[in-house]
Amino acid sequence: MDIDDILREVDPTFHAIPQEKRDLQDLTRAWVAERCAPELLQWPANDLFERVNENIKRQIEKVEEMTGDMDPKTNFVLIVLQTELERFKYLVRSYLRARIAKIDCHTLHYLSTDDLRSRLSEMELAYATRHQALLHNHYLSSFLSSFPPALQNLNDTAGNVTMIDAPDLDSAVFVRLLRDTAVEARDVDVDSSTGGQENAIYILRWSDAKPLVDAGSAELV
Amino acid sequence: MPMYGDLGNKLVQHAKRAQNLAQLPAYQTELVRAVTREVRDLDRDVASMLEPFQGSFDPAAEQATACTLLVNHLSMRRNKRCLLAYHRTRADKLEELVWGGSDVVDLAGQQQAGAAANGVPAAANDGQSSSLSPQEEDYVRQYGDLLAAYKGQWTDIDLTGSLDPPRDLFIDVRVLKDAGEIQTEYGAINLTKNSQFYVRQGDVERLIAQGYLQKLG
Repeated sequence: MDIDDILREVDPTFHAIPQEKRDLQDLTRAWVAERCAPELLQWPANDLFERVNENIKRQIEKVEEMTGDMDPKTNFVLIVLQTELERFKYLVRSYLRARIAKIDCHTLHYLSTDDLRSRLSEMELAYATRHQALLHNHYLSSFLSSFPPALQNLNDTAGNVTMIDAPDLDSAVFVRLLRDTAVEARDVDVDSSTGGQENAIYILRWSDAKPLVDAGSAELV
Repeated sequence: MPMYGDLGNKLVQHAKRAQNLAQLPAYQTELVRAVTREVRDLDRDVASMLEPFQGSFDPAAEQATACTLLVNHLSMRRNKRCLLAYHRTRADKLEELVWGGSDVVDLAGQQQAGAAANGVPAAANDGQSSSLSPQEEDYVRQYGDLLAAYKGQWTDIDLTGSLDPPRDLFIDVRVLKDAGEIQTEYGAINLTKNSQFYVRQGDVERLIAQGYLQKLG
């Protein structure tokens, strides 16, 4: 236990926010970030999705339990619960689909280095590997197998053009600063650095914004 | 006389056209075969051109031959790119359809019906029963399995569900085609054509996607 833990324990806001609520915040933030960033982001490491899944399952059971009850009051609660449940499911679904879309688009790129592979969840990794294998097989059986062997690769870099497409890391994103911090941005001729205020919104290249987002000093909007 | 790469270009144009169509046009078996043949011919040319040199080819001494070789190589690579682009575009389209809930059987059937409705003679399909090549049918089947496996890990979420944010729990729907009786937690509903219901969105999402119901309002 270090000083941060002790401080957190006496901090009234720490206990005021229950785990479920923080999970929802994390999920929403991950969802917004994933949909805005041009490249695949890190899969949340702290078992967030296990907990979210657990919660969804619990709520479904609760809804099923309450359905039998004909009391109008329970009925109202039921509608609130179900609406909340639908929204939760939507967040997770949309988040997963956004990731799958990115993985499908640049499969070989995300499978090419260990660093990039570690961003995928285990299931996504299995999906991506299998999908790529299917595609390769499809190409092979459709035409590639009758090509000269030297031309059968899918990851050639001959002529300084790599066959593996990568996402454009320089596309623009909007970020909101979560604390006062210096914003460094590359420019056409001079690099610039601005002292950014909390809550200010910037439009930056993703490659410039990434360090800020990773450090937790900014979020994508 | 057709130039190197003309055929490849045609393939890319086909692919481009297919992007904006609701249904996949017929697979260009002949064209794919012709482009592949061109690549093989070029490769043979390269081999026979290099043969007299016995591995001691010096580009600086034989500039004319070097230039021919370069052009041949580039044409082969370009053809490969065209083929990859053509197949990838079609595969993407097929994946989209699989996500939308179609499987290979009704996909092949639909495509054929679509082609017939557009007045395309059956002969244009190259004697095949569907506009998918056999390899593509395989691919759709396998991708369907893959997707089902991935979806199976998220049973509570229904990954292929609507991507519009949910607004209301209950919605008005009109029945477009007889869909028989469905079970909901509020009892059974008999869906007969032209009737209208106020139902829970989650219960009927699948039927809306399949075109049995229409969402109102």
